[in-house]
Amino acid sequence: MTDVANSGAPAAPKAAKSLLTQDARTIKRNRAETRFKMYGIAAISIGMLMLVILLTTIIGRGTGAFQQTFITLSVPLNAEKIDKTGNRDIEEIKKVSTFGYAPLLRDAFALKVAELGIETDLSAKDMANLLSKDAPATLRDYVLENLDQIGQTVEFEFLAQSRVDGYLKDRVDRGSIANDKNISAEQLDLVDGLLAAGTLEKRFNISFITGADASDARPEAAGMGVSMIGSLSMMLVVLVLALPIGVAASIYLEEFAPKNWITDVIEVNISNLAAVPSIVFGILGLAVFINYMHLPNSAPLVGGLVLTLMTLPTIIISTRASLKAVPPSIRDAAHGVGASKMQSVFHHVLPLAAPGILTGTIIGLAQALGETAPLLLIGMVGFIASNPPETIAEGLLSPNSAMPAQIYEWAKRSDPAFYERAWGGIIILLVFLISMNAIAVMLRRRFERRW
Amino acid sequence: MLSTHLHGERQNTAMKDRNISENDVITQPVKIAARKVQVYYGDNHAIKDVNVEIDDKTVTAFIGPSGCGKSTFLRCINRMNDTIDICRVTGDIEIDGEDIYDRKVDPVQLRAKVGMVFQKPNPFPKSIYDNVAYGPRIHGLARNKAELDDIVERALKRGAIWNEVKDRLNEPGTGLSGGQQQRLCIARAVATEPEVLLMDEPCSALDPIATAQVEELIDELRQNYSVVIVTHSMQQAARVSQKTAFFHLGHLVEFGDTDKIFTAPEDPRTESYITGRIG
Repeated sequence: MTDVANSGAPAAPKAAKSLLTQDARTIKRNRAETRFKMYGIAAISIGMLMLVILLTTIIGRGTGAFQQTFITLSVPLNAEKIDKTGNRDIEEIKKVSTFGYAPLLRDAFALKVAELGIETDLSAKDMANLLSKDAPATLRDYVLENLDQIGQTVEFEFLAQSRVDGYLKDRVDRGSIANDKNISAEQLDLVDGLLAAGTLEKRFNISFITGADASDARPEAAGMGVSMIGSLSMMLVVLVLALPIGVAASIYLEEFAPKNWITDVIEVNISNLAAVPSIVFGILGLAVFINYMHLPNSAPLVGGLVLTLMTLPTIIISTRASLKAVPPSIRDAAHGVGASKMQSVFHHVLPLAAPGILTGTIIGLAQALGETAPLLLIGMVGFIASNPPETIAEGLLSPNSAMPAQIYEWAKRSDPAFYERAWGGIIILLVFLISMNAIAVMLRRRFERRW
Repeated sequence: MLSTHLHGERQNTAMKDRNISENDVITQPVKIAARKVQVYYGDNHAIKDVNVEIDDKTVTAFIGPSGCGKSTFLRCINRMNDTIDICRVTGDIEIDGEDIYDRKVDPVQLRAKVGMVFQKPNPFPKSIYDNVAYGPRIHGLARNKAELDDIVERALKRGAIWNEVKDRLNEPGTGLSGGQQQRLCIARAVATEPEVLLMDEPCSALDPIATAQVEELIDELRQNYSVVIVTHSMQQAARVSQKTAFFHLGHLVEFGDTDKIFTAPEDPRTESYITGRIG
């Protein structure tokens, strides 16, 4: 951009020039500068446009997942069906499977439709099909927890099946259901009737955030909650291992280690490790933690260990950078009053480097949170419909998934209802990442000190 | 700068004359003795065969052109060069007859005895109080808060900064002006009760008023400490020191009473330097 090289030839005696007119060289230079500014603005505009497209698409497609269609039904908990002996023995009641509860729902649904005076040719079975396949299980769980309610009539809000939900979210219409054996036009007529009567409504669904994954047949029941716990357990492992190991390694390398070819080799290799594809760490984890050390498959503990290995280089590099940024005069000052090397590091250098270290750690954690590839190899990607763990140990050792793995899993399934949930899952993941980055920025602002 | 001019200026300042006259009368015991000191930075031979005896309760100035090794030699006296990997020191440096490069000497203990003030004021980014209290704390000089308060107050008074900061001891030391910061650093150095105080161009980052304050302070510190000061300013060396050592290209060219060095140097190199022909 600069034209220094061309300015060699000595000019003839100059004619007096006015400062009020620009000469050709100046005009050219100014044009070049203006052009460069335009390139910059164009690049930023493209970036901003992409960001806007990304956010609008994600929000537009994902928010639907936070809402779900519910059907309100009063179900008489008929004792003859669920407790034939009548002695309220929980072991006997447990023997009644969800199939045993289905007739209760059928009767309740038919009763409701009759009450509302909606005319339909549908059989009771077809009517009850509007409910999620999850509904009998919901009912059974309730009964097993509230044995005293047997014989009473209880009001429930059941999930509607995904086609009904799609109909309310304009994903399903009368034209598209022609070849769909899950729903018929008559059933949609009934949905319209129930909607008008207020029995069926679409509202916020907390269990998308707190619930477990569900099988292919019940997309409406699937939630992020358990995989969120899996991700958080992994983050816990990463934080507990990577932060102390990374900070200790960087302090040693930066402040104590002699500068020779060995430390040079280590340094180069740490930088290289930061660029190693994450799937390589996955196969390392498979070989070392699962095949050799026999840690359980699909466990967040193993995932956390793998992600620790992946995050360590990031943490070490950022910690070393922030240790380097502490002016040497501070170390001199500490040594000058007789502080030992360790005292000068821990009393003076580390507190000054802390904001940088914390920021680097959180960025590393955020990177680990969004990582899917290494989890593929240790069995954390797949349909893992476990219940939320009850203890921390169980959370670390029992099979679980992680948020990005869960999103990948949903995106892979054929039912468009899962597709919507994948977008919704991305919103949750982004909220996590944005809040982690916000914490990093806040910590940096808070602890940053000038010297 | 001509020597005659320098000589005339010196007679105008009362303090210098007093220093020089005192210098003739009082002879102090030797505090630091260096024999055949060699310093290497990698392959670079930075200090060549330096022999010097520095007296107790005396201000000794090291002068010489840039890169002549005066700061390097100063940093040998409290083993600050240990923190530089490629630096190697041979020869003997004794303080009170003890070899400080002996295997048994812990540099941390040595540095408590030999304090240091640096070229650029470098207070810790902590409160004024904590800056001064840090040394006594890590050396366990105070048994309780009251004693520590005493030490801090005494050190700040000795650093001639007490009156300016006594009402804001909890404010950060980095918020002070340059001259105040340097006096705070001096107070921090004296807080550990050293016997020798090394100063590496302590006034080079200061304005003339702050410089005058620090110089006055150095003259007072002479009562209690052996002060060694590296300076680029020959007037400063003449004003504050009783003994002067002239370094050139790693050699200690000449060492003697300040008035003699500045009025009747023996070595032609010294004369060239103080008259401004080299350096």
